[in-house]
Amino acid sequence: MRRVAVTGLGVVSPLGSDLDRMFTRLVAGESAIRRLTAPRCEALRSPIGAPVEFDGTAHFGGVQLRMLDRVSQMALCAASQAVAESRLDFTRENPERCGVSVGTSLGGAVTTDEAYFSLYGEKSDRVQPLNVVAAMCNAPAAWIGIEYGLSGPGLTYATACSSSAVAIGEAARRIQFGDVDLMIAGGSEAPLTFGVLRAWEAMRTLAVQDPVDVSASCRPFAQTRTGLVLGEGAAFVVLEEWEHAQSRGAVIHAELAGYGLTNDPGHITRPSAAGQAGAMRAALRDAGLTPQSIDYINAHGTATLQNDAVETAAIKEVFGARAYKMPVSSTKSMHAHLLGAAGALEFVIAVAALKRGTVPPTMHLDVPDPACDLDYVADVARSGVALRAVMSNSFAFGGTNAVLIASAPI
Amino acid sequence: MTTLQILQDILVKEYRVAPDQVKPDATLTTLGLDSLSLIELMFKIEDTFKITIDTDGPTGLVTVSDVVNYIDGLLAQPGG
Repeated sequence: MRRVAVTGLGVVSPLGSDLDRMFTRLVAGESAIRRLTAPRCEALRSPIGAPVEFDGTAHFGGVQLRMLDRVSQMALCAASQAVAESRLDFTRENPERCGVSVGTSLGGAVTTDEAYFSLYGEKSDRVQPLNVVAAMCNAPAAWIGIEYGLSGPGLTYATACSSSAVAIGEAARRIQFGDVDLMIAGGSEAPLTFGVLRAWEAMRTLAVQDPVDVSASCRPFAQTRTGLVLGEGAAFVVLEEWEHAQSRGAVIHAELAGYGLTNDPGHITRPSAAGQAGAMRAALRDAGLTPQSIDYINAHGTATLQNDAVETAAIKEVFGARAYKMPVSSTKSMHAHLLGAAGALEFVIAVAALKRGTVPPTMHLDVPDPACDLDYVADVARSGVALRAVMSNSFAFGGTNAVLIASAPI
Repeated sequence: MTTLQILQDILVKEYRVAPDQVKPDATLTTLGLDSLSLIELMFKIEDTFKITIDTDGPTGLVTVSDVVNYIDGLLAQPGG
């Protein structure tokens, strides 16, 4: 089987649109969670989220800007960072051997929200003519394809909160099977509209705003956790066939060593330890690694009552005694839950941790849940750690569990 | 402002067309407007001139002056 190299990383995140800066802030335990100022959000029970400081007009203009929902704008910017870092020159590539793979849960939600507000709220009888192309779920992938002239596969995956982990894993498969040599893969999500937030509020899965410190409202694995906080952003990687990367002298950040996928057929939202454990085992098998060789897990860790206890049980089931000896952290405590972009952002963070030998913390974990008894790297990052391989977990409403493993390049 | 001046303004501001390119005999294609941009342009024209364009849309608009004449025709109709 052909090997897959990670040669470029890019982020547009609530903690900054630059990987080094974002990682520094994660290591410092900074949270981007704050009060939302978007229109009508003051009506929410808990008007908090992790927005990105991002102004599309600084990057795009004219008709293109009006065709780009925020989700595509952030995707294009994160992908361009990943491509720039990989030092790829697409004029030297065979475009049919290059593709794009994107995960998003909602697609152009801002466009949809605005159009419906105009139609139903303002009783307008018209919709912007570019609504369809801006709102469609595959718009981010299509625009990345246009930007770099990619004529291989152009794929979009919508598996809710595991969408972009699936997008990266499936992109790696395309390279392994020899269909392509190179994929731009990742995810993007722009869900911070009143309509989307109200819907999540109705699900009763959102965190209650912390009365003292808004930024501490997302508390994965803590007894005091009250739910997830929504965030927005995009994260992309450049994946390349190993020899392709080597022959052009690319810097290889990591090997995408394993990808595991399972489905929970039992319930539409309830997570299953068996399903999560199955995905972790499948990823280990795919990587040819034992539990003993994983040195860090970036957990799904949503801070919902259900997920954190179930994920902890699943990790224990797979890793046995090793579960207690290996750091497991949820960076969602700082960047919040990016839904369809979460898997990609957290995979990028896991690769950055691997490269730097630094494990970012789980913040706001002062009162651990007795059912969550692993080493969650509470509140303080750990540096100078030798990491051989790292795992990134992504689980989802609907039941698609996806796990990625990155290992240090050898 | 004349209809031509208002249309020139839209094309320069919203479609990034160079001002000196927007002449009455310039074709919309040479100004870089594709079919999607044209549909959007009609929407903006409706907004700007407070007119309603037929859902089938206008046909046979090739040059800037074709568009100007089309708008002026609609404006001249009773109840414009």
